[in-house]
Amino acid sequence: MTRSRRPSLQTTAVVLALAEKPTAWRYGYQLCQQLGLKPGSLYPILVRLADRDLLETTWDTEVPAGRPPRHLYRLTGSGRALATELAAAAASATATRRSGPKGRPNEGWQGA
Amino acid sequence: MAGRVRWTRRRVQTVTTWVVVVAWVVFYAAALATADPLPPLETAVAQLVVPPLLWVVAARLVVRHWWSEPESRTSAMDLPGRLLAAAAAALPERRHAWGRAMTAELAEVRRRSARWRFALSSVRATLWLPAAGSWPLLALVTGVAVAATTAAGPAVGAAAPGLKVFAVTFTALVGAMVVLAVARSRRPRLRLPAPAPTILVTAGVAASIAATMVFLRREPAAAEYLPPPAAMYLAAVLAGCLWVALASPRWLGTSRLAPHLGAAAAVVFAAWFWLANRTDGTEPPLPLLLVLAPVLVLAPLAVFFVPAFAAGRAGRSFRSGLQAAVWTVTAIIPLTYAVWLPEGLRRYAIDGRLLIDGEAVAPVGANLADALAFCLGILPVFGLTLAVIGAGLGARTTDRAGPNDPS
Repeated sequence: MTRSRRPSLQTTAVVLALAEKPTAWRYGYQLCQQLGLKPGSLYPILVRLADRDLLETTWDTEVPAGRPPRHLYRLTGSGRALATELAAAAASATATRRSGPKGRPNEGWQGA
Repeated sequence: MAGRVRWTRRRVQTVTTWVVVVAWVVFYAAALATADPLPPLETAVAQLVVPPLLWVVAARLVVRHWWSEPESRTSAMDLPGRLLAAAAAALPERRHAWGRAMTAELAEVRRRSARWRFALSSVRATLWLPAAGSWPLLALVTGVAVAATTAAGPAVGAAAPGLKVFAVTFTALVGAMVVLAVARSRRPRLRLPAPAPTILVTAGVAASIAATMVFLRREPAAAEYLPPPAAMYLAAVLAGCLWVALASPRWLGTSRLAPHLGAAAAVVFAAWFWLANRTDGTEPPLPLLLVLAPVLVLAPLAVFFVPAFAAGRAGRSFRSGLQAAVWTVTAIIPLTYAVWLPEGLRRYAIDGRLLIDGEAVAPVGANLADALAFCLGILPVFGLTLAVIGAGLGARTTDRAGPNDPS
């Protein structure tokens, strides 16, 4: 039986931020600023998401001359499914806090 | 911007010079204050002037080449950029893209303090990126490494109690290296870019361990000359030599010539050292003496300088010379140490004197302390300095023709 682990609050925040505009490509620095995360926290999360095929990456080559190409990120299909699951879990947790404890969400998640 | 220091090459060289000189003067003054007896005046002056002179020349050459290396894009970067670029370059192959991603994002950060924060935090990220290897294999290898480290102490301690700390430290370090190699690579495999030098260094490390074991078994009282800090240092240096030979970082393995030059120099040095001890006290005929005298004096200097100079010149880059320098020192340390201990025992059995200064009152175990100080202290410090100067001068002779590392 596979043991599932609830993603950390920071991972959840990154996934939900990427899911705000699921088709849009996002920059790492942009995510750092939006979420108030340091790159030392953000990049390991992005690496884990990409390793689990939850995150798609590409290079932005349309940068001003003399600047290196930037890395872009967006959720894959399974990443978007996870985001939906996490959003539902967050909503359910809010409801639970009002009415009492229930079962654990995110059974498909393997930890981050 | 007003009040902001602009770090030009000349300014960095000047600061480096002053840091080296002041640090050495302070250190030497403290050493003299506790010295009993004081050295003669000429010796003190030479000791005060020569080492920092060599270090300053070497450090200025390093700064000069680091700053002007055309193949490096770091010369246009500020310090946070250089720091992050260096950390990103050390990432394993499979994580390279993430290093480039962080470096590219840093280019978008404008404010100086924000750039430092972003760079330092990204460096932390490069150290803690998730392992690329498979977790079950990693767990298995970690388990084996921990078990081996735990078992090494009692097992070696039973045979040679004085070697217990060394055994535990060495096994732990080698285990950590193996765990790191598995974590960094999806399919860990042993790559030997230069098999002969790798085998030579590995054999040198094995011989050093065996020689220490034999020495301590024959002279158990010598364990007092291998206190825990010295044992840990010996273990760290020998493990470091193995790391360079078996899993050298990318920047060390780009020149095909450098490892071979370094290994050849190490063999020459070990042979010179052995020969110098074996011929000590003999009186060769005058013509042979005239030939041997300059060889015996110049050989130890040349073995460090020449390979680095030749590699720097052949590769047309400072980096190639530096690679030869590192390989030379890496191979010379274990080989010389492995020759020293048996020769020390032999010499002591003949006339009751130590190997290096012929002191007649010291116990045989003092050979171990001498070997540690010379092979693991003086050799790497001064040998590497001479080699760096060789690398710098070798690359400098090709600068006008347009340096271009073919690797």
